[in-house]
Amino acid sequence: MSAVASARAVTTAAAPLVVEGLTTSIRIGGRWFDAVREVSFEVRGRETLALVGESGCGKSLTALSIMGLLPAGVGRISGGRITVDGIDITAASEAGRQAIRGERIGMIFQEPMTSLNPVLPVGFQIAEGLIQHRGMRRRDAMARALELMELVRIPAAAQRLNAYPHQFSGGMRQRVMIAIALACAPKVLIADEPTTALDVTIQGQVLALLADLQAREGLAVLLITHNLGVVASVADRVMVMYGGDVVESAPAKPFFRRPTHPYSEALLAAMPRVDRPSQALAPIPGQVPTLPDMPTGCRYQSRCPLRIEQCAERPPLNALPGDPDHRARCWVRAP
Amino acid sequence: MTAPPGEPLLVVSDLAKTFTAKRGWPVPTTVTVRAVDRVSFTVARGDALGIVGESGCGKSTVARACLRLSEPDSGSVRFDGVDVLTASGARLRALRRRLQIVFQDPASALDPRQRIAEALGEPIRVHGIARGKDVLTTVERLLDEVGLPASAARRYPHEFSGGQRQRIGIARALALGPDLIFADEPVSALDVSVQAQILVLLDQLRARRQLAFVFISHDLGVVRHFCQHVAVMYLGRIVEQGPVPTIFDEPLHPYTQLLKASSPVPDPDNAVAMRLQEGEPPSPVAPPPGCHFHPRCPFAMDRCKAVAPPLRETAPGRIVACHLYG
Repeated sequence: MSAVASARAVTTAAAPLVVEGLTTSIRIGGRWFDAVREVSFEVRGRETLALVGESGCGKSLTALSIMGLLPAGVGRISGGRITVDGIDITAASEAGRQAIRGERIGMIFQEPMTSLNPVLPVGFQIAEGLIQHRGMRRRDAMARALELMELVRIPAAAQRLNAYPHQFSGGMRQRVMIAIALACAPKVLIADEPTTALDVTIQGQVLALLADLQAREGLAVLLITHNLGVVASVADRVMVMYGGDVVESAPAKPFFRRPTHPYSEALLAAMPRVDRPSQALAPIPGQVPTLPDMPTGCRYQSRCPLRIEQCAERPPLNALPGDPDHRARCWVRAP
Repeated sequence: MTAPPGEPLLVVSDLAKTFTAKRGWPVPTTVTVRAVDRVSFTVARGDALGIVGESGCGKSTVARACLRLSEPDSGSVRFDGVDVLTASGARLRALRRRLQIVFQDPASALDPRQRIAEALGEPIRVHGIARGKDVLTTVERLLDEVGLPASAARRYPHEFSGGQRQRIGIARALALGPDLIFADEPVSALDVSVQAQILVLLDQLRARRQLAFVFISHDLGVVRHFCQHVAVMYLGRIVEQGPVPTIFDEPLHPYTQLLKASSPVPDPDNAVAMRLQEGEPPSPVAPPPGCHFHPRCPFAMDRCKAVAPPLRETAPGRIVACHLYG
């Protein structure tokens, strides 16, 4: 514990994004339920941390909490601290938070068509953040928007500065989103399922672009995805979430070599693979319980083949023997 | 009314479908899209043929044209010896019982105000498979077969999760005892653990009922798991076709190679192909001349820009449309 604390003290200054004990609650039928529970991580410059899990595991809520995009009255941060570029945004005023988020965090979403304004030219949408946060004049901002479109490798950018989103393909729209996200030169990029809506060959191009920009700008990337194949291709570290809990956290290679939490293991066994002959798939029985129905203790226990009595109590996120970087929340696998 | 001996259950030959649309403002011009360009394939009883390709390649249009959900321009579709495209009246009704479809999003394929008993019971009554109280018994048996409790019959579609709704979609396709199901991205909207549940269910149904499938998907892993044969489509044409293990282990067409290299696998030593400089699929409105893939092909030759390569057999049952192989 003291080792972890001191390690954190050393790296806090360096890591552009630090999340400590984040708890986010959601209101259902007049009662508040914890949908993200005590999630802690940091993402360093040039590093990609992948947050993985299925629908409802809390991965997108974690991103929305960081961005301050929780729907008012329905979601709220009920605990923990988020530090961006050394500034505690959970303690800042609303205006201060807006300024920090707008300038220092960029975000891209799954479906660029729903995030882009259909009636504004893309060039202006890229320039908007610069006018808003940097106080740039429109003409300068538009010139910078053109540079950004070239940076994200949109062909014939000069001719397309005044084009509208519907005139772009899905892959090109996602490039526009990336340009918007990077306009204010943020330190942190949150990418929530950035390639899920794209065809695989286009997915490869967008992932390549993100990797290239990350290396060039030194970005800390928080990648939110359900696709373990994408994680294996681009992530440095992996965090698996289930029912709002981080159930496993490890550098990418050890994670895929030795998935430890029964849920991580089950996710990998349920994935049909193109690189291997067809073999029996092992589906995870049942489905994720709804928040009001979550069991106390380990939230995966109702679907877990290794369940023991102790699982009625919530396991801590323990390091594996001999591997302090690889941690799992499981009484059986990481007691 | 059965096929001549030796003829596969489904034989599709030279199927073509063109769409026209008015585009542009203030003076619209008519544009033509060859969504399906002389596509041929066969499916044997109990066999699953995967059709893979990216958005807009025409794979869903193939399914819809075979089922006459949108009438094809030309070509022929023979099912168990019957010409599907010219069938009418009783013959067409009989075909409808034996050819079914499962869609990607079962929520949009189910009437939100109709209880499951009614949604599944309607085709059973209309086709005279059961009457009166027997309809509900048949519905409950179908629900059991797809792994849902009998009580599901009294509920509405919104009360089910995505995976359960897909089970209902499958139950409805099974209601009339089909021989062949067109499954259009049946697991694409599902989480991986639920996707595996549905794939296992489809596997069981194929074995138990000797069902044949035309399985449309963009996910090569899913197709490798479920199908015995696969056809790869690019901009309306089949570019490669053959048995599943060989196509995925040794893809011949450069497009199949690109698709495979781009498909993510959970192995950090085997990252997906990430190329910064590479084209997007051209618009199907104005596909490039010759081989449609040549602008993106690393092996493109002069011939590829002028002449569309025909499909040639390179090994028994294995065909490819590429000038590299002939």
